[in-house]
Amino acid sequence: MDFKEILKELKGELLTLFEEKWGDLKGESKKDVEQFLKDSKDKLERWTKLLISKDITLDDYKWLIKSQKDLLLMKALHKAGVSKISLGHFKNKVVNTILNVVTEFIL
Amino acid sequence: MKQFKCSRIPNKINMMSKKMKYFQVVLLTVFTIIIMSCNSLKTASYDQYSYQKTTEIKVDASNLIDKATTSYVDNIEAIESLNLEIQKIVAYEKNKPNNEITYAMWKILSDSERNLLVGFLKYWKENDTLSQLFVTEAKTQIMEAMDLLIKYEGKKDKVSKDKLMGIINGN
Repeated sequence: MDFKEILKELKGELLTLFEEKWGDLKGESKKDVEQFLKDSKDKLERWTKLLISKDITLDDYKWLIKSQKDLLLMKALHKAGVSKISLGHFKNKVVNTILNVVTEFIL
Repeated sequence: MKQFKCSRIPNKINMMSKKMKYFQVVLLTVFTIIIMSCNSLKTASYDQYSYQKTTEIKVDASNLIDKATTSYVDNIEAIESLNLEIQKIVAYEKNKPNNEITYAMWKILSDSERNLLVGFLKYWKENDTLSQLFVTEAKTQIMEAMDLLIKYEGKKDKVSKDKLMGIINGN
């Protein structure tokens, strides 16, 4: 089994699907599809092998693929949350600096 | 007359300098208020209950998922108990202020139409028993998702610790 060929085929199919549904977001969707495939490559390869060897059913395979999409969504939320915490830290530092400067001016 | 004018120049410079300082202080105060009122940057503080409960749910879920190779019906009590704990934590996270990210993550985990924690329980129910290989792969996905939640709550620890140290040090 040539998994690279499957991945290439999958990428093409996904891009066509995106273009048909969201033609205006062509550039963005391409980036999203590429990122999804890059992050999921090893898992997709392992699951595809399990499906071909009939160690898992097609429904199991579908379930796992969808779980990967949901996991990436969780990762995106985690990333956004961590950035928000970092920005909050930066905000606190800015406020402290301003307060120090103002205090020096007044006192 | 000329001498009189010259003696007033340092006074004028002094007045202008004071006005400039006053203007800068006002400007900085306004800027501080704007930054402090920026709600989008606020994150709920670290919550020991959330951290502990999420860890407990992860351990319970891990043990339960291992049993998914056996009949769903035989494990109904443990499944219902886990579902109840999930419902409790989701309700708890929903009502905490500035907690949108954690709540959104819990919503995904607890959504039976999605394919993570509660979605797995639904799939188990539909099939009654699941294959060992599928269970192993699904468990990796669910545990990875739960680790993200635990790590995120843990990240908040540093924020509250910094705040506390700031209060202690009088900053």
